[in-house]
Amino acid sequence: MNFRLLKPKHMEMTMTMNNNYIKRLIFSFLAVALIAVPSTVFAAVPDGVKKDLLEKGKKVYFKRCVWCHGIEGGGDGPSADRLFTRPRNFIQGTFKIRTTDSGELPMEADLITTVRNGLQGSAMPAWGEFLAEDEILAVVEFVKTLVQDRDFDDTEDEEVFVQDFGTNPWGTKGPYHLGVPQADIDAGKEIFTKNKCFECHGGEGRGDGNPTMKDDWGFPIVAADWQQCWNFRGARRDPFNPFHIVRTISTGMNGTPMPNFKDQIIVEDRWKIAAFVNSLCPRKKIDLLTNKPIPDFLIQSVYTEGKVSPKIDDPSWQSPDTDDRIDAPTDDAILENPKRHYIAMAGQITRGKRNFDPKTDNLWVTTRWSEEEQAVYYLVEYHLRFLSDDPEYPDSVAIQWPAKLQELYGAEKPYFILGDAKKPVDLWKANFMPKDYSATAAPKPEGYQLDVSVEELVGYGFDALSAKESEGKVEIVDSIYKQGRVKILFKRSLATEGEFDVQIPTEQFIPVAFMQWAGRDKEKDEVMAISTWYYTILKPALPDSLYYMPPIMAAVFVCFQGWVIWMTKRTRKMYDEGKVRRDELPK
Amino acid sequence: MNKNLVSFLVFVVGLAVFHNAIFPIFTPKPIGWILNRYVYYLVFVAFLIITHFVLRLKPSIAMKALFVWFLGYYFYDAILFPPIPWTLFITYMVMWSIGVFLYISQDTDSFREFREPIVKTIVGEYKLAQIVVMIAMPILVGFATYKSIYPAYQEPVELRTVHPAPPATTKVHGITYPLESTNNPFRIDEQDKYKDSFPFLDADKQEYMKYVTEGGTIFFQNCHYCHGDQLNGIGMFSHVFNPTPANFIDPGTIAMLQESFLFWRVAKGGPGLPNESTPWSSSMPPWEEHLKTDEIWKVVLFEFWYTGHHPRTFGTEGSIAGSEGGE
Repeated sequence: MNFRLLKPKHMEMTMTMNNNYIKRLIFSFLAVALIAVPSTVFAAVPDGVKKDLLEKGKKVYFKRCVWCHGIEGGGDGPSADRLFTRPRNFIQGTFKIRTTDSGELPMEADLITTVRNGLQGSAMPAWGEFLAEDEILAVVEFVKTLVQDRDFDDTEDEEVFVQDFGTNPWGTKGPYHLGVPQADIDAGKEIFTKNKCFECHGGEGRGDGNPTMKDDWGFPIVAADWQQCWNFRGARRDPFNPFHIVRTISTGMNGTPMPNFKDQIIVEDRWKIAAFVNSLCPRKKIDLLTNKPIPDFLIQSVYTEGKVSPKIDDPSWQSPDTDDRIDAPTDDAILENPKRHYIAMAGQITRGKRNFDPKTDNLWVTTRWSEEEQAVYYLVEYHLRFLSDDPEYPDSVAIQWPAKLQELYGAEKPYFILGDAKKPVDLWKANFMPKDYSATAAPKPEGYQLDVSVEELVGYGFDALSAKESEGKVEIVDSIYKQGRVKILFKRSLATEGEFDVQIPTEQFIPVAFMQWAGRDKEKDEVMAISTWYYTILKPALPDSLYYMPPIMAAVFVCFQGWVIWMTKRTRKMYDEGKVRRDELPK
Repeated sequence: MNKNLVSFLVFVVGLAVFHNAIFPIFTPKPIGWILNRYVYYLVFVAFLIITHFVLRLKPSIAMKALFVWFLGYYFYDAILFPPIPWTLFITYMVMWSIGVFLYISQDTDSFREFREPIVKTIVGEYKLAQIVVMIAMPILVGFATYKSIYPAYQEPVELRTVHPAPPATTKVHGITYPLESTNNPFRIDEQDKYKDSFPFLDADKQEYMKYVTEGGTIFFQNCHYCHGDQLNGIGMFSHVFNPTPANFIDPGTIAMLQESFLFWRVAKGGPGLPNESTPWSSSMPPWEEHLKTDEIWKVVLFEFWYTGHHPRTFGTEGSIAGSEGGE
């Protein structure tokens, strides 16, 4: 599946003629012709290598870059085999973030931008605040010399067409770029459907379209998950800006199956697609240093009158992904629903067999509890592009608790990776297989039912995990896999008999952590994605005093004000009458 | 015209103009000696002082206190870079507020002058102000009561010791190392001599660079996920963990530690920490499970070479000038 465009026709022509004069003639003609049409591109030659900077660039490269990109720039440094996405191989001159047409060399400014801002969602960090400006300029020149198959100095064959991306038609502002008219988002969705973007990116943009994709070098590659826009390459500190999507649609991503659509989709429509893609990404406050959403370290379980609905589709479980402080939901019915809490996940790279390429970046947790049922419900959701179809490696997700919560002192907790010898953990693990599922078949729009089984484990360390002897009390009351998203609803009663069951108190901070295994990646045991310890709390019902105390306090304060006025006036009078002297305590 | 009002306008309009028009000029991409945010701030303060001097404005002490207080707020909020966490911000502002209060209350005259507008508001000499304040305050109190009764929970704050006291000895792969007298066996030369050497390219010419290359190779296969490609504690996974991974660029980490301390921390990892350093949530692996002793030493060597910091030494032979920094 290689969508890279062939070089424009006129280039082949000039190459055969090999006549500089004719070439320039055509070039200028083309330039005039291009100015005449709207949404113009302009032709240029790539910026040649500045030889005087190479010595300095080499120094920077071999100190900072060689570890991933390799001695010859082949993307084969020591780190490469343990990275997913692998470091870029410079030899073929394929660069992702460009302003030039698909398949072409980048402009120098494009490379500088990439070095400066890094590539989010990959190991490439932002060098802009680390290296000096002249070091960045120099290393870019050196990287150009690592390109072997193409030549930045070749003005004959390497002309490039710098794309025109238009301007943001709605004038939306960062950081969240809210306020795009719904009509344009809907129009964007239609263009998305018409151009079959879902074939790779999935019906709701979670990148769950095609499990067989490879990059130019034959390494597996996945489509971007549009609902995690903070991982968009080249969108540092600005993930909600539709511009980055317009650029990607216009230029394609060299080296990947992502083609350009500049001829199929006019630039105005590319902005509409971008509006649609961006509308999918939940607005969360982004940490400027890590470029990821700030995790919600306190998972608040909402008190529920009566029974909690055991159906994920129930309105009481609908909560927006977007932080309500950034964009409040318009639907009153879900206003009081529990928040979706963002849990950051990483590969378990600490103990035993390590997982360097986890397939899940985060989980979302929503929770309710019921006094009537004396039970707590945790809805765990996460994106996973493809599920396992091998019963030996089912997909799994687990909630980890301190098994002996009441014996912990202060901030003390069990070791976050499956406990330790002194402090065991209680693990609620849901193993599941989708019914009638095939990763390569077109996904069912209504989603897949899951065959779920619950394991309750007690962990005294990552290598000391065993099934509980007591009867299992954790239930999975509902679950679904739909459009690249798994949803599992856990339920358990607050108090149980089991020796290693966590006994859940209300109104107390309880440590909790999450784990996830991607079966398709053969993840098992300690090879998993993991979060650190979070806290959860079962919030009480709203107290009645909430309604009568504020007016009482306000009335009391009015009296206090009267007293202050009276006292101040009295003091003044005493000064005026000479009974007391200023700034002296009365005798 | 009321001089207080003129002074207030000078401050507000001046700030608006300075912040929106002049601030961007002072913050170009490559930061210069003149064109930087701190010089901008000084220029702004100078502007305030000079205008007040030229226009012969003498704002009341309450107004002055307000200006000074806000200048502090502006500095910590918008000028200071990189931005500080809000907890630190609040700490600084509390100290700044105390300083301002000390200034106004240093003698009875200035304190009385400061109180005067407040007293006048209370007794009703400023009628409008009195009405506004007397109505607004009870409403605020009611609202605050509501907010305080409404059950809201903040994640509990947990403190931890970043550099715990090391043990006297540590046993790694069956050999016991006394931390005080153990040195890095691969530090065969002074690292500054190799500032301009290349890993890989010089690895077969210079023994020192061979060790740095091997250390870097291990680092970039194992450690960068958390400690980052730039060794600044911002790796692909660092945002997930709490405590966040150490930033080796920071002068407060490896620059003030002995190599043997690092060796102990690397070998024993999170589980080897004492309780005050929350061993249960540290994601640092006990690297003795994954690496050989030599590999640990080489990674430590690499970390100092890459960051340019020197390990702390205690005046022993071969200690390097300027290496006693950090305190």
